[in-house]
Amino acid sequence: MKQRYFSTFQLILLTLFSALVIVAKIALRTPLQLSGHSGIFWMAIIIVGARVVPKLGASSIIGVTSGILASFLGLGDFGALNTFLSYAMVGVGSDLMLWLLRSDTENLVVAIIVGIFGHLGKFLTKWLFGIITGAPIGFVALGLLQAFLSYAIFGALGGLLGWLTLKALKRAGFFAYMAEKR
Amino acid sequence: MDQKKRILLAGAILIVILGIVLGVDFLQRQQAAKEAPADMPPGSIPIFVDGGFVASFVPDDLSQLPAASFVDAEEGKTQDGWLLRDVLLLYLGEDNLQDETQVTVSSSSREKSRSLSWAEIDQQENMVMFDLSGRGTLKLVSTLPGFDIRDSWIQDVDKIEITSP
Repeated sequence: MKQRYFSTFQLILLTLFSALVIVAKIALRTPLQLSGHSGIFWMAIIIVGARVVPKLGASSIIGVTSGILASFLGLGDFGALNTFLSYAMVGVGSDLMLWLLRSDTENLVVAIIVGIFGHLGKFLTKWLFGIITGAPIGFVALGLLQAFLSYAIFGALGGLLGWLTLKALKRAGFFAYMAEKR
Repeated sequence: MDQKKRILLAGAILIVILGIVLGVDFLQRQQAAKEAPADMPPGSIPIFVDGGFVASFVPDDLSQLPAASFVDAEEGKTQDGWLLRDVLLLYLGEDNLQDETQVTVSSSSREKSRSLSWAEIDQQENMVMFDLSGRGTLKLVSTLPGFDIRDSWIQDVDKIEITSP
């Protein structure tokens, strides 16, 4: 019998990470009012998920599944399709970087870069939607640059937080436990 | 290709993406500047009174206005910006606004609009205000019953119309 790319156990894990992304979005709040600040939590979860299920496409599954959940929960200001694609592109952007870097997120630099690109996937989706729908140009000049940098910085911080979480999980013996389960 | 080169390539891709985003934004601003009247800077929001153009609302004016904020009940997010009341008073003065005056804030790209009376806007506890969205456009938000959920708010505002009673 042909072996499936993701096992059922891995798919369940990825779905749990997707649910965690939504929980983080709804429950975790920061006092920061900068755009994209929630990326600290999102990207940390994606970075951990991509290491717990170390296969190309794992981040995309987290992104797509959390996008479906977020759309059904009515999150976001710009409609279900925008919400779905924004979440999905976080995963796809992360996977593209993991594919380019040919490494895993246990490497700090890789985790930060994946965090930046994953989070920028969301920014680019929102920006492209704005262009397609004919949204007015930014009220504040250079507001777009500020938003871009804000998304990149919070994505990088999310990458760092994810990397620290992975280190803690490794120290706690999580990966040895997971290897036994497989 | 070694890891160092791959990381450099990722950095180059990041710069290219930033360049594309800023380049497209620059072209859009140039296009908007060509199409808009001379006294309307790109990105500004025109205010019309009874069909006639009166002024355009520009970011520099915001520094003169007091900041306002509230936490929305739906997602617990802080909406912060400037009260619509303060914006209108800045350009029109109180004499031009009566309780029955209708103020319509609209977004052509989202095909949404909302008409409110001056009495509703003037009540500060209703928090009828503009919040600056992540991509730099204005969003009309409020705590006014019936206009206090995200679905009803007006994103990407590009016009303010005032109709006298």
